[in-house]
Amino acid sequence: MPLPSSYSPNYFSIDDILATQERTPCKFLLNVPKMGQLNPSAAERDLKAGTSLELPLWLVIEMSAGRQPIITPELPKVFRESYREILKADACAVDLHKYSLHFYEVGSYVKHFDRRGDVHEILLHTFKTRYRQLMDLADNSVSDPSVQHSLDTLEKRIFVASHSARTKLNSWLIKSGSPLEAAELVVNHKKRKRVDVDDMK
Amino acid sequence: MYGEKAYALVKECANHENSLPPYNASLVQEVSNEIRTLVEENQEDAQTSTEETSDSGSVVSTIRLRHAAVKRNLRCLMAYHYNRLRLLRKMRWEFGSILPADIKSNLSPAEIEWFAKYSRSLASYMRSVGDDGLNLAVDLKPPKSLYIEVKCTVDYGRYELNDGTVLLLKKDSRHYLPRSECEELVRQGVFEHIL
Amino acid sequence: MDEAAIEELELSDAESFEEVQLTAAQVIEMMEEAWVNEKFAPEILPHKMEVVDCLLGQIAYMEENLQSLPSTDFKKSIHQLEVDRLRFLVSSYLRTRLEKIETYVTHILKQEQQRHESKEDLYLSKQELKFAKEIAEALKQNFDGLVSFYPGLPLEEWVSQPVQPNMHSFVFLKSKKDVNEVVIDDGSIATEGESDLVDFREGAQILIAYSSVAGLLKKGDVKLI
Repeated sequence: MPLPSSYSPNYFSIDDILATQERTPCKFLLNVPKMGQLNPSAAERDLKAGTSLELPLWLVIEMSAGRQPIITPELPKVFRESYREILKADACAVDLHKYSLHFYEVGSYVKHFDRRGDVHEILLHTFKTRYRQLMDLADNSVSDPSVQHSLDTLEKRIFVASHSARTKLNSWLIKSGSPLEAAELVVNHKKRKRVDVDDMK
Repeated sequence: MYGEKAYALVKECANHENSLPPYNASLVQEVSNEIRTLVEENQEDAQTSTEETSDSGSVVSTIRLRHAAVKRNLRCLMAYHYNRLRLLRKMRWEFGSILPADIKSNLSPAEIEWFAKYSRSLASYMRSVGDDGLNLAVDLKPPKSLYIEVKCTVDYGRYELNDGTVLLLKKDSRHYLPRSECEELVRQGVFEHIL
Repeated sequence: MDEAAIEELELSDAESFEEVQLTAAQVIEMMEEAWVNEKFAPEILPHKMEVVDCLLGQIAYMEENLQSLPSTDFKKSIHQLEVDRLRFLVSSYLRTRLEKIETYVTHILKQEQQRHESKEDLYLSKQELKFAKEIAEALKQNFDGLVSFYPGLPLEEWVSQPVQPNMHSFVFLKSKKDVNEVVIDDGSIATEGESDLVDFREGAQILIAYSSVAGLLKKGDVKLI
């Protein structure tokens, strides 16, 4: 009986933490003493201004903000023009999972690095275009897990939620009753026990 | 890069959305150590910052970078524990106030303490509802009928009903029982509801 | 039925504030509406403990009566099922509230504090407030233990960013009366006079962002479906 929750990441969100671990290229504007270790291709003590590095988003966001930014971020490859063109042409045909595990979350962070708003637009476009296909998949795929492979994490969550809603509706329409069930964690617990036992054989 | 261990910690939660892996005390310790080191380095630099600014740039940037790393580490550390507690909370509702031994052995002492406190608060809340209390852990689904047919999945042994009747619950035996009396056993996986 | 509980029920739209005797069916209807509202609203709603207590009293009364019937009486099982269904209604309502309280505990306690200071009615019942404070304390202790290895760590982030419900999530609702000029919250910060308005007719069913209608819901002009 989980709460129906819409997408809203918080301080403890696992997905948000995983998304902010993704890296994006950026350039140092200032020298940063003693941080040479962050650059694996140089063996200097200090990190020199002008160095280009790929850094995780959580660091990029902190370091590029404020009155005196230390770095300027660039867009990750999949949000640059050539990739955006592909998405514009046919977003449904793209294996978004390959683009980025957290395409939309990363996108909503890096869109601030792009002042012209192209990233913003492509995010909306991609989601809108793919959403129809996503609903279609959720309604119709019986149990073929391969359809999920080209979805990013957010899409996968929507898919799982709507697929299970569809399954529940179907079973309600057919039987008009829902059986009492063992609790989810209890079932998991038993399954794992079974695996443990199998391992010992 | 800083925060890699903390990331590994969070990854553990992500990989076990519906089960509780053993509490990773050593990784938690390593993350704590990283935080400590960063904070200490920053304090040191903050005290000597005036001396080193000229050619190699301001140490303020260094401090900012470390501070970002401290915050990131803390967020991961908190998220790891928070999400474990959320799962533990779910377990309280599904297993009841007594956890299976193998689950309990995966918990840290602080988690066991939290679980006991949570159970106590919940129980005292349930007792305070209405005049004589209300058990909120049952009646999870809208009842359709008073009696349901169930199949026993384990050799459970003797089970006494409210009216005093004693049943012998054997594996694969089938029973026709009042729903209210078997709901909890179904939740715990002893019975299987047959439609 | 529990007389005292009924007397506590004052319907706000009863003109002369005279206490209204509610029939069992009315109480159940109120409970059902509160339950559905609570289930679909993203945030916690003002509690309806008077309805809960009233219904629990009713359940206790029915159960007492059932005791006196012989177990062979066919009517008994029908009534028993009815009692079970009512108990489910109450339990599910309270459970939903507990889930929200636990998920948003820091946020909710902060809001309750503000309501307390501005002398508004609290949203939580006395028992719920006690429960909320206890679990907030337990969480705090757990976190304190976690970060006690070094004094003075920058912990302001988790305090300043508590887990909050998404007030912009969409809800289905049915209007219980005509409501004019509801401001549509589209997420942008519109200056006055520029935002879009919509009129609800009585009985109309609408899909809209919760934040646009939170006030109406608490007033009882609309209900969620």
